[in-house]
Amino acid sequence: MYFLEFLLKRIAQGFVIIFLTSLLIFTLLRVVPGDPVRLIVGGMAPDNVVEEVATKMGLRDPIIVQYGRYMWGLLHGDLGQSYLRPKSGMIATGGEYVDPSRADMASVGELILERVPLTLQLAGVSLVFACLIAFPIGIAGGLRPNGWPGVLAFATQSLFVSIPNFWLAIILILLLSVQLGWLPALGYRGFAYVILPAIVLAVEIAPFLIRTLTVSLGEIMQSHFIDEARVRGLPKRRIVYGHALRNAAVPLANLLGIQLSSLIGGVLVVEYIFDYPGLGHLTVNSVVGRDFPTIQGIAITTSAVFVFVNIIVDLISYSIDPRVEL
Amino acid sequence: MVDTMAAIGPDELGSKRVEGSIARQILGTAWRSTGFRIGFTVFVLLLLASAIVPEISPYEATKMNMKARFLPPLFLGEKWEWGHPLGTDQLGRDMLLRCLVGLRYSLFIGVTTVALMFIVGCGLGLLSGFKGRWWDMAIMRLTDAQLSIPMIILAITILGVSKPTVPTIILVLGLSGWPLYARVARSAAVAERGKEYVRGLRVVGAGDWRILLLFAAPNILPPIAFVAVLDIARIMIFEAILGFLGLGIQPPTPSFGTIISDARKYLINAWWIATSPGVFLAVALTSINLMGAALEKARNKIYGGA
Repeated sequence: MYFLEFLLKRIAQGFVIIFLTSLLIFTLLRVVPGDPVRLIVGGMAPDNVVEEVATKMGLRDPIIVQYGRYMWGLLHGDLGQSYLRPKSGMIATGGEYVDPSRADMASVGELILERVPLTLQLAGVSLVFACLIAFPIGIAGGLRPNGWPGVLAFATQSLFVSIPNFWLAIILILLLSVQLGWLPALGYRGFAYVILPAIVLAVEIAPFLIRTLTVSLGEIMQSHFIDEARVRGLPKRRIVYGHALRNAAVPLANLLGIQLSSLIGGVLVVEYIFDYPGLGHLTVNSVVGRDFPTIQGIAITTSAVFVFVNIIVDLISYSIDPRVEL
Repeated sequence: MVDTMAAIGPDELGSKRVEGSIARQILGTAWRSTGFRIGFTVFVLLLLASAIVPEISPYEATKMNMKARFLPPLFLGEKWEWGHPLGTDQLGRDMLLRCLVGLRYSLFIGVTTVALMFIVGCGLGLLSGFKGRWWDMAIMRLTDAQLSIPMIILAITILGVSKPTVPTIILVLGLSGWPLYARVARSAAVAERGKEYVRGLRVVGAGDWRILLLFAAPNILPPIAFVAVLDIARIMIFEAILGFLGLGIQPPTPSFGTIISDARKYLINAWWIATSPGVFLAVALTSINLMGAALEKARNKIYGGA
C-alpha cells in the first residue's frame, strides 16, 4: 500500500511538473521576439498578409487563450501540427508560401515518435560505451583511491569533462571517418552510423560515472560491513562485486536521474553535428524555424521522460537498497 | 560584519570563527593536492597569456591578411612562420591570437554567468529553505519544471531569436542554470534553520532577512561557491557549443565555438584551424576542472571530518 501511495503521489507530482514545463516553454516562446508567421509566409509578404495568417492560426489571441486551446488538444493526445513540416517529409522553408492551417502538415506527435527510437538507440549505445570506459577505471580508482588507479581515475575524469563534445566529434570524423575510413559519420543508414556519435556522448557521460563510482566505492570500502566480510573470509572478488558494487549502484542510479537533462542536451548537439535524424536534430531545426508546436511537443516529451525516469530511478534505488526512503 | 558579530555575543562569534576557517581549511587542503597546483599553474599562465599577448603582438585577432592564409603551425608542413606559432586561418588571421582572445571572452562569460547563477539560485534557494511554506512550494516546483527542460533547449530557444550579444548570452545561460544552486542552497538552509544560533537569534528578536543575510548566508554559501568553480568550466563549454551552433558571440569577434564551426569547411586541407582552438579550450577547461575537483574533494574531506 505504501508503495502504491508513493507511486500515485509521484505521478501526480509529475503531472504538475509537466504542466509547469509546458506553461513555461509556451509563454517563453511567445514572449521572446521572433514571429513564426514571418518565417512561414516569407520575408517579402506584406504586413497585412502576416496579420491575416497569424489571426487565422490563432497566434494573435491572448497567450492564456492559446495555452488553453493547446492544453485542450494535449488532453486529447494531440500535440498540434508542425508549422514547417508537411506530411511528405519535405521541409518547407524560405520564400515558398505554405499554408500552415492546411491539414497536410505533419502532426507533432508523429514527428516525435518517428525519431524517438533513433535517439533511444543512440542514448543506449552511448550508455553502454560509457559504462565500458567508466567501470574498469572507476572501480579500480575506488578500490585504491590513493594509488595510481585513483590518480588515473581523477585524471581521466578531469580530462574527459574538459573536452568539448562538438570538437571531439569533428576530430573523430577527421581521423576515423575521413583519414582512416573505418566508420561512416554523417546521416543515418544503419547501425554503423550510431558508433561515432555514441563514442562522443560516452566520453561526455563517462566522467560523471567515474566520479560517482570512485567516491561511493571509496566510501563503501571503508565501512564496517566490508571489514566484516573480510573477517568472514570472503574472497576479495566477492566482496567487491557482491557487496560493495551493489551498494554503489544506488548513487549511480540517482546520477542517471540527475544527469538526464544534460545527457539530453549532449544528444542534441551530437545529433546536430552528425546529422543524425533523432530528436535533437529535430529540436535544433524547429528552434531555428520557430516551429512552436514542435518545440513545445519536444519540451513536453523531454520533461515527461525526465519525470518518468526519475520515478523509475527511485524505484530501482528502493529495490537495490530497501533503506532508501521513497 | 565584525561589529555586528560583536553585538551578538561570544557564542555566535565562536561559531563564526570556525566557519570562516573552514573556507580557509578547504583552500589549504586543496592547495596541498598536486592536481590543484597543476591546474592553478596552467590556469595562471593561460590567464596571463590571454591578458598580455594580444596587447603586445604585432598582429590583430580580427585583421585579415590574404597573403598569409592557411599557414600551418610551427614545424609542420613547409610554409610555417615564427610569427604564427599556431598557424593562420582561412583569412590569414593568427590562430594563437584568436584563441587567446576567444579565451578572454570564454572566461569572462563563464565567470560572470556562474556568478549570476550563484546569486539567483542561492538567493531563491535560501529564501525557499528559510521561509518555508508556499515560498518553498512555489520556488521548488519552478526548479523542478526548469530542471526537466534541458538547459540547452531553453538557451537555443531564446538565443535563436534574440540577437546573441555577450550580455544576452550571460543572462540566458545564468537564468537557465540557477535551479541546481537553488536546490543545494535550500537544503543547506533547511539544515541551518534548525541550528541553535538561528533559534537564538530568533529569540533575541532578529527578523528573517537579518538572520538570513547576515548570519546564515555566510555559513551556507562558501562551500557551494567552491564547487561552483566546476561550473565555470561547464558554462565555458556551453558557450562554445552555442558559438558552434551559431548562437554565440557573433563574428568577427573570435570565440572557440565559432572558430571551430567555421573551420569545419577546411578540415581536410587545414586541420589545425579546427584543432588548435579545441586543444586550447580543453587545456583551459582541464586546468579549471583540476582546481574545481580538488576543491570539491577538499570540501568533502573537511565536511566528512567535521
